[in-house]
Amino acid sequence: MSATVTLSEDYRDCLQEVTNVAMGQAADRLARLLDTFVVLSIPHIEILSPADIAMALHSLDGSTSVSGVCQGFIGGGIAGEAILLFNDTSFTDLARLLNYDDELDQQAERELLMDTTNVLFGACLRGIAEQIDMTFSFGPPMVLGQHQRLDELFNPKTATWQQALVTEINYKLEGYNVNCDLLLILTEDSIDLLCKKLDYLLT
Amino acid sequence: MTSTSKDFLNEFHWLMDVLHNIDVGLVVLDLNLHIKLWNGFMQNHSAKTSADVLDECIFDVFPELPEAWFRRKLQSVTVLHNASFTTWEQRPYLFRFKNYRPVTGAAEHMYQNCTMLPLTDARGQVNHVCLIVYDVTEVAINRLQLQKANAQLHHISRTDGLTGLLNRKTWEQSLRHEFKRFQRYHHACSLIMFDIDHFKNINDSFGHTAGDEVIRRTAATLLEGLRDSDVAGRYGGEEFAVILVDTDATGARVVAERLRTRIEAASVPFEQHVINFTISLGIAELSPKITDSTMWIDTADRGLYNAKRSGRNQSSVYHL
Repeated sequence: MSATVTLSEDYRDCLQEVTNVAMGQAADRLARLLDTFVVLSIPHIEILSPADIAMALHSLDGSTSVSGVCQGFIGGGIAGEAILLFNDTSFTDLARLLNYDDELDQQAERELLMDTTNVLFGACLRGIAEQIDMTFSFGPPMVLGQHQRLDELFNPKTATWQQALVTEINYKLEGYNVNCDLLLILTEDSIDLLCKKLDYLLT
Repeated sequence: MTSTSKDFLNEFHWLMDVLHNIDVGLVVLDLNLHIKLWNGFMQNHSAKTSADVLDECIFDVFPELPEAWFRRKLQSVTVLHNASFTTWEQRPYLFRFKNYRPVTGAAEHMYQNCTMLPLTDARGQVNHVCLIVYDVTEVAINRLQLQKANAQLHHISRTDGLTGLLNRKTWEQSLRHEFKRFQRYHHACSLIMFDIDHFKNINDSFGHTAGDEVIRRTAATLLEGLRDSDVAGRYGGEEFAVILVDTDATGARVVAERLRTRIEAASVPFEQHVINFTISLGIAELSPKITDSTMWIDTADRGLYNAKRSGRNQSSVYHL
């Protein structure tokens, strides 16, 4: 693919609105499940290159204060990966949040990360999928950098794509030391199809 | 019967066949966690038939299931209408199924990935949950073996085969590391370089196997007397080096002398011979005058040279 993908203002606004609505629904569901208020930032939407994404992920390598979890999703020709970056999140708070009573060893921490991720992704992606009338299937979440350094796992120089549509949302949970960034990365091939779906909403 | 209902029955039949024979475990639970579907995979691996488990509460049939955890997982499925996952790396298994392959099954139990799906009724309400259980034993075993092999390679690449001490490359990394730490925090830190006196004579008179034995014994004696924080490495053929963290020259001298007398007292039996040998040691404490790690080694080497020149079997501190 050579042509640079651009996203018109209309599509961007529309997608932002769709994401906003989805996040609102997600926040509502999360509040019911977790019994706490979820503070969400306004989604930030941008077309990014592999190098940009590699930079965002760079902070994960060699850092003990940042962890990341990713989960793939696909449905009806739209595919992508959601990545959740936990910044300085306290595991004890996560455990409290998810009513996790067992002792917190490394395995339990991993499980907490994956469960939180699954809950946040599921809530958000479901909302988006509903509005554009699709359903996604999800792969299991995976803790990043657990088996392989990220610079080995994802090399922007050898990436087979040039651009991806990235939606970034910041989550904070009221009363908990939990702060995370959700990156929703849609593949290059999905952008066209997504725009077609958005057309229904725009007309 | 009308032909459409016959078609439907036929279709239902082969659909059930698929569910029953597919090589993943399928369990459907209602919201009270009573088992509503139990497919062939689950029957075969658990040795419980559908008749045994249907309409039973899953915790009664499988008391080993972690109930609080399981309920929490299911809650996120029913509240969020959202699939939930667990992988073998978090929990090796959900249902404890014994490994069934006596020859090629390398694991004690089946490793499982598990997905929990919300099932909606005609009105779009979730009132059942589907558990899908994947057998990932082979993947898990491969991953675990790979991790083990990597750990072994990591160990081999850092240590010296004959003595088990750090090899020169790794030891020098530690040396540079300690040097940098000194520059930052100015904690006392000393270096001992030593070698075996007249080692060539030992090799010439008893052979290289005897020489190896002497080297091994030296390394073992060295390791016995060290603290956990000290870093010992084999620097060259019969040369050894130790970094003593938080230790000044006086302290390092005590360590050096203790090692020297232990080696002097030790004897290595070899064939019909008993080999006695000694070592000479040079000591250098880090000071601001030492500007890099190579210079630190040189300084300790000068101490070693002095110890040799004054008659061997002794230690000597070199001050810049």
